[in-house]
This record gives sequence, C-alpha cells and structure tokens, in this order.
Amino acid sequence: MSAGTPLVEVRDLCKHFPVGAGATVHAVENVSLQVGRGETLAVVGESGCGKSTLAHTMIRLHEPTSGQVVLDGVDISGLGNRALREHRAKMQIIFQDPFASLDPRRPVGRAVAEPLLIHKIAKGPDADEQVADLFTRVGLEPDMMRQFPHQFSGGQRQRVCIARALATRPELVIADEAVSALDVSIQAQVINLMMELQSELGLSYLFISHDLAVVERMSHRVAVMYLGQIVEIGPRSAIFENPQHSYTQRLLDAVPIADPRARRDRPLLTDEIPSPVWAAGTSPERVELREVAPGHLVAAEG
Amino acid sequence: MEPLLSVRDLTVTFGSFTAVDGVSFDLHEGQTLAVVGESGSGKSVTALSIMRLVELGTRGKIENGEILFRQPGGEVIDLVQQREDDMRKIRGNAISMIFQEPLTSLNPVYPVGDQVAEAVMLHQGLEKAEAAERVLEMFRLVRIPEPEKRMVQYPHEMSGGMRQRVMIAMALSCDPKVLIADEPTTALDVTIQAQILGLMRDLREQTGAAVLIITHDMGVVAEVADDVVVMNRAKVVEHGPAVDIFENPAEPYTQALLASVPRLGSMQGRSEPAPFELVEYDS
Repeated sequence: MSAGTPLVEVRDLCKHFPVGAGATVHAVENVSLQVGRGETLAVVGESGCGKSTLAHTMIRLHEPTSGQVVLDGVDISGLGNRALREHRAKMQIIFQDPFASLDPRRPVGRAVAEPLLIHKIAKGPDADEQVADLFTRVGLEPDMMRQFPHQFSGGQRQRVCIARALATRPELVIADEAVSALDVSIQAQVINLMMELQSELGLSYLFISHDLAVVERMSHRVAVMYLGQIVEIGPRSAIFENPQHSYTQRLLDAVPIADPRARRDRPLLTDEIPSPVWAAGTSPERVELREVAPGHLVAAEG
Repeated sequence: MEPLLSVRDLTVTFGSFTAVDGVSFDLHEGQTLAVVGESGSGKSVTALSIMRLVELGTRGKIENGEILFRQPGGEVIDLVQQREDDMRKIRGNAISMIFQEPLTSLNPVYPVGDQVAEAVMLHQGLEKAEAAERVLEMFRLVRIPEPEKRMVQYPHEMSGGMRQRVMIAMALSCDPKVLIADEPTTALDVTIQAQILGLMRDLREQTGAAVLIITHDMGVVAEVADDVVVMNRAKVVEHGPAVDIFENPAEPYTQALLASVPRLGSMQGRSEPAPFELVEYDS
C-alpha cells in the first residue's frame, strides 16, 4: 500500500430506497471510507447490511441519495452521463454469478472485447490481440475466446469476467461476492489469481464478502458493516486479532473453524438483526467512529 | 452394534451418467456423519437416494446396491426395495430431511404452524388440538421465540434462520431415527449458521436421532461431524473419524480439498495478504 492520496475517497455516502407509505430503507447510511492504491479493502457484513448497495452506489449503478465519491481526485457522484462514462473505465465490477453476467449466446471473447470497443481502447485485430492477452493473463487459453459460456466451468467463467473487468485497465476493481459461488478448490485458485493480478497491475480491490476466512486471506484493511453503517474499520490484523466492536466480535465468533478439536460450545442465541426500514420522519441514529489505534476506527456503543 | 442405516454399494445413474458409483457407509444411532464434497460429487444424490426421491420427477435410477434401514421395531428393511406407498410412511416419519432453502420447502400460502401440524396428523394420527400442542412443543424445542405468535405466521413473515428452525421442527416432529440435512446452513448468514449448528448438536443429544449432514463446507463438518465421508466424482475417496480426516488426510483429493479451505486465524501475525498454498491434485 503506497502513501499519498487514496485512489477512492467516499464521504458520508447515503443510499435510501422508498418502500411505500413514506417508509425508507436506509441501505447505506453516512458511510465514509478510503481505498488506497494497490490496496484491498474488504467490506464484510451479513445479508442486508448494505455492503453490495455501497459498492453499487460507489460506481453509480445506484444513484447516491447524498454524499460524495472521489475517484482519482474527481467527484464522480455528480458527473453527467458522458463524463461518467470516461471515469467508468477506471472502475470495474465482478459479480457473484458469472453465468448470469455473460450472454449465453455470444462467444466469451466478444464479452471481453466489448469494453475495449465502447471505450475506444482498441478495435479490429488489435482488439482481438488484447483479448488474447487478457485471456492469457487470467490463466485461460486464448483459443477459448471463441467458446460460449456454457462450455466453461464456473471457475473459468469467473476468469472470463475478471478478464473483462481488466480490459479497460481499471484502477479499482469491485469484487461483489466474486468467489462466493465457487467450490473451495476453485475459489482458492481465483483468489490467488486476483492477488497475483493486484501485484502485477497495482490494482485496488473493494472486496465485498460475507466470508471472513476469505477476507482474512486477501485484504489489507477491513470495514465491518451493520444496518447500513460502518461499525468498525481498520487494518486486517486489528480487525481479526483485536476486534473492538461487539458486532465484529460476534461475527468472528460465529465463523466455523475447520478443526474438529477447536469445537466450541456457544450459547444458543436466537436474536436477529433489526429492520433497516424507517417510517416517515424517523431515521437511524448516526454512529460516530472514534480512532482507537492508528487507522483503526470503532463506533461507540450505547 | 448393528448400524441404523447401512448404504451398501449404491450406484445411481441419470441416463448414461453415473452420479453415485458404488458408495457404502454406515450410520449408527446418535452419530453425526458428514458427507462432504464439491459440486457434482454425488453427495446430494446419495441423500436423495436414501429417501428414494431420486426417482421422483427426475430421471434418476438406483442401478445397484442396498440401503438397509433398521426400523423402530427392530426389523431391517432394504429401502431400495420398498414400494412408493411404504416409502411415504417412512419419509418425514422415521427418516426425515431438511433442505438448503427453507423458503422453497415451505408452502407460501399456509401458516407455518399448520404445515408442521400436518406432518404429525398424517404420520401419528393426532387430532387437530393435540397437533397444535405438539407444534408448540417443537417450536420451543428449536428455540423459536414467541412460539404462539410464530405458529400463525406465513413463511414470508419470517427470516431465513427462523424458517430453517420451522423446517427442523417439522423434521423432528415425528421423532425420526435419522435426520438427513442437505446443506442446512448454506443459505444462512454466519451468525445464524452458528445458531442452527449449535441447535442441531443440542437436539441430537436431546432426541438421540442420527444425523446425516450433506455439505460442501469443511468448517461446518468440523463443527458438527463425528465421522466424515469424502466424495469426489461419484465415489467415496476417504472415510473416517473427523479428527483423523482433518489432521491426517490420507488421500490426495482430501489433502487438496483441505489445503484450499480458508481458515480463520491462519494469517495471524502477518501484515500482508498471502495466497493459498495449494496442493496439486490431478483429477
């Protein structure tokens, strides 16, 4: 992780969705974070905590309700379509299910070539050559570009999606549960590939995941989300070895340990996460983060 | 001791494809046995074969083998030879099953309490009022808070964790000898998974039912299983006590599988991320 200005700075980002009768889902609430160059920031939390909505709002797949996203010194939260398109080349996303993100009726090489054509990076034989290079880079044979998605395994399809994300030479790649649907042996290979690409290309990753053991492997820093807000953020070792917020501790305690001798007796809890839906005129209390160690911020608990 | 359930040389095909190839294992009273494997290894087809559900609605066929089940009365029957009518009396009664996704296993237009009551009325001949009592008792057993209120709710009004508790309540309502759990926590968040796994462990002690758990997650296996059957490409590659499988995996496939499992705490003291040290496995 290099010093200097961060690649991405998110300030007080909010994303609210109306759900009828004046009620609102506060999916993302006053989130501020930074992603350094060449760094992986993992965002962890349970279903509905807002981690995917945060990622989608950062690259404006959702329009933010309020707040700023500064990428490379430019606030992209207010850009018009044309200007936004230029900046989109710098930020790419990989989704959970590669089968759903590839057109079943087009050869996969076309999917990887498309961003090159749209962003006018290359065309014709030059584009083909770049696609072949991208295939090699992600560990696929260049010949495979003429095949269709159904001819690939799940891991290979995700490699195609990674190749497509890299086509525009992005600085930020968002991985939204990008390895969650893969079998563990394939998952480990794809994670190793992502780490290799990071060191070769200096990529920054925003790694959205519910799997804490995977996050511990591949992240430099970790943000823990709960009900749309960040409750703890800091260097990986601080979050995993010295978690301060009760929710972070609870999440870590719940992770199954792949060692039958380490089996623990846990209290039998039945509690659930409260609803993020707020009635008209009400809103969640804003959590304040305080710094407990350099770069390690924790929400105050009542 | 005689096993409760003994799968012997089971082979299941779908057309020309062999999904399960000569699989054998025993399940004893009070034991939790995990069948673990990756997608397409044949673990779920094995589970569905025990319930004789592979032949229903799919083109699956049990080509060979026996599934010997010791009935509550002591008589041993081969489930493969049972007629559909007889299987209906066994399913949900002496052998019951829970699935990955509770929302697709529950009927969306009936209150959950009625759905659990249906099982005990059908299998145990209880009257409606007795059945309702039994449902309440089961909901308390699986630690559903405010069971009276929850009974009359519809599936969509409940969280995924509560819905899975309802499925477990239904599965245990007729005091099964064998509970088959096919990826029971895969669709759940990790804190809810921990609750459900803890509940399953607790219930085994309370009910004495043997548990056959089907999973792809080695973490889940380590949390609940006494013994493990590792499957790959339709075959059993390794079978033994969980502690031995995790500490001294004998087969190259098991070694490769375990090497790719992310383990919380494995990065302690390291400041930078690190790739997995993978074991080559030539499939």
